[in-house]
This record gives sequence, structure tokens and C-alpha cells, in this order.
Amino acid sequence: MARVKTAVETETKTRPETQLSRPWNVIVHDDPVTLMTYVTKVLMQVFAYAESKARTLMMEVHKTGRSIVWTGGREQAELYAQKLQAHHLLTTLEIVDD
Amino acid sequence: MWVARVDEGWLFGDLSPRTAEILKGVPMLLESEDPRVRARLLPETLDDVGHEADWRQHAVPELERLFASRSTLVGRDLAAMRPMKSGGKLLLLITNQHASAWLAALNAARLALYCLNDLNAAHMELDSEEPATPQQQQAIDSIHLMAEMQSVLLGDAPVESCGSITDLDL
Repeated sequence: MARVKTAVETETKTRPETQLSRPWNVIVHDDPVTLMTYVTKVLMQVFAYAESKARTLMMEVHKTGRSIVWTGGREQAELYAQKLQAHHLLTTLEIVDD
Repeated sequence: MWVARVDEGWLFGDLSPRTAEILKGVPMLLESEDPRVRARLLPETLDDVGHEADWRQHAVPELERLFASRSTLVGRDLAAMRPMKSGGKLLLLITNQHASAWLAALNAARLALYCLNDLNAAHMELDSEEPATPQQQQAIDSIHLMAEMQSVLLGDAPVESCGSITDLDL
């Protein structure tokens, strides 16, 4: 995790200010293999979400193909994405559009 | 195969040699260098080329180390499988402390088998009628077996409680 922080600190010197200040979305995508209850459990574990919220997000992934599971600062978004990928949820990051 | 909840964790019994072989493949699948598996377990995460390069440089090595560590842990548990007194079948203990690592490792192995065998979503449905080669069918069966184990570890499947493993004559 510390290495991600280092990367973000480096970014502050080189990336445009607008990209740093804008929020980032953590997105989980559907896959036909991962069990639905597993996705729910991971969302509860990583974000400390209540089971009802985690299940709602999981169902959005299942029905629409993706769900924004968290939005916020880049550094925290990267940490969350790394944790989700550690559990093999298909996860991407995107900057929130203006 | 049967499962019992013991104080120490989950006990999987009556594992056939074939089932044991499937499970012994989990650590290798988790660390597969096949590009299809790597693309799924370490997916492209950011659209921006520079951001993605940073991700590859800093986040991916940590994930690789975690997967290697999990692979070792699961491999040790598999190496500790022992024959049951009643015959040639095997007994596997997944301790409470290792359950989370096993859950993730089984998920990775299922995803890897899916990628390596060119399966599609229709193959994953129960009672699927999607045509499958014998090799694909073997992979599908392995994926379902690992899903059953995940369901047990997730608490989705009812499992009988049996006290401590030391009290069982197996």
C-alpha cells in the first residue's frame, strides 16, 4: 500500500491540478464466474458497508454489468481498487466527468 | 465429498483422488503466467496510459506478492491432506485463519479455468446446454466443485457442527 501512496505523491508534481482535485469512481464489473454472495462479502469487508447496501451494489453489477461502488479522492480510490482486485473482483478506476 | 464445521475450521472429507488433484491445481492457477489469466487477475485498471503505467509499476507488484503468498498458504494446506482411516479417500482441513485466503484463491482458480478453456457465460449456468468439449466440461466441473467449496466457506451451505477435530475418528 505504501508504494501506491508514493505514486500518488509523485503524481502531484506532474499531473494537472484538475485531475488531482476531481473525484474518482471505483467501478466493479460483472463476470460470469464470481459468486454473488462472494461479491457481497468482499464489498462489506473492503468498504465496511452494511449487508443491504453491499447486496444492492452487487445486484447492480449483476443486472447492469457494472456499479460505481465508491467515489472520492484518487489515493483512497486506488487503495480500494487494489483491495478489490486482491479478491479478484473485476475493478477499474475513472475520473468523474465534469 | 462431505463437509463438517469443526472448532478449528472446515473439514472436507471423502475427497477422491481426482478431487484432490483438481484442488492441487489451485496454487498453480493463482500464479499462472498465461496472458489470458494475467489479463483477468491483474486487469487494465485505468484508461489513461500514464495512470495505467503507474498502476502497473506500484499496485500490480503488491498484488503479485499477495497472490504468491496465498498460493504458498493454500499449497501447504493441500500438502497436509491425509488419507482417511476408512479407505483411500482424503481429508482436508481449511482452518478459520486460512478461510479468507482459500475463498480468494478458489475464486482466482475458477476465473483462471474459465479463461484458459475459452468458456462463456452460458457454460456457467447450471444445467447449461452450451456445447462443450471434454476438456471444457472437465473445467466446468472443476469450477462448480470450487464454487461448492466457496459456498461452504461463505456460510451459504448448511454444514453440520462436529466439535473439535481431535474428537473425530477419521
